Amino acid sequence: MDAQKVDAFIMANTKYFASHQIMNVRDMLLGMDESRWSYIISLEFKDPTTMLIISIIAGGLGIDRFMIGDTGLGIGKLLTCGGFGIWTLIDWFFIMDATRQKNLEKLLANIR
Amino acid sequence: MNTAKNKLYLIVFIACLFGIIWLLYNLLHVNNQTEGLTVCYMKNITTLPCPSCGTTRSVLAILKGNFYNSIMINPLGWVIFIFIITIPFWISYDVLRSKSSFYVAYKNTEKWLKRPYIYLPLISLIVANWVWNIYKEL
Repeated sequence: MDAQKVDAFIMANTKYFASHQIMNVRDMLLGMDESRWSYIISLEFKDPTTMLIISIIAGGLGIDRFMIGDTGLGIGKLLTCGGFGIWTLIDWFFIMDATRQKNLEKLLANIR
Repeated sequence: MNTAKNKLYLIVFIACLFGIIWLLYNLLHVNNQTEGLTVCYMKNITTLPCPSCGTTRSVLAILKGNFYNSIMINPLGWVIFIFIITIPFWISYDVLRSKSSFYVAYKNTEKWLKRPYIYLPLISLIVANWVWNIYKEL
């Protein structure tokens, strides 16, 4: 995979991935087949900052978890009133990392 | 996938444990109807109840045999009750037999729930329950 294209992709999408994963992502993209490029650039990632805002506003109803695709955890959060408020608070701190992890999983699923 | 399964089992088991401790605390220590702890984040901030407000009272009513009351207070109590009873046994069975039946069932349910014809009716039910909670001034 063309290094210039990969670097452009990385620069445009840095905020969607955890900083310690960026180098791995770069290496994987460099080793990737040219044919998968069109899939990769059409991928939509979730913005961690937006998720944090959603978590603060509507985290008690599990909406933040639903939006990153953790349907089961979202239901658990909803049924327990945001895990007695404790889970709501915990997720305020964890949601940004969880979003980046989900973004990475989505990218990995499409690289192969 | 081993660690993902273990993480899930740990989280769910701890959640059930927490729920059981919470129920026991309410059962044994909270005698007065009006003395209950309001742990709902939404209620403390906006004074409006959330869709699952009242589930503790509902499950306590089930434990006392008061089935009609439990539905009247919050039907979600039944959902929680069934989960709390079955899930610890299911997970223990899986751990003892080194199987992943719960994990597989969980993943399949997640996939199934992502379909619009499933989650849209479920969301309407939750919203209806929420409106009912507000109407009941829970």
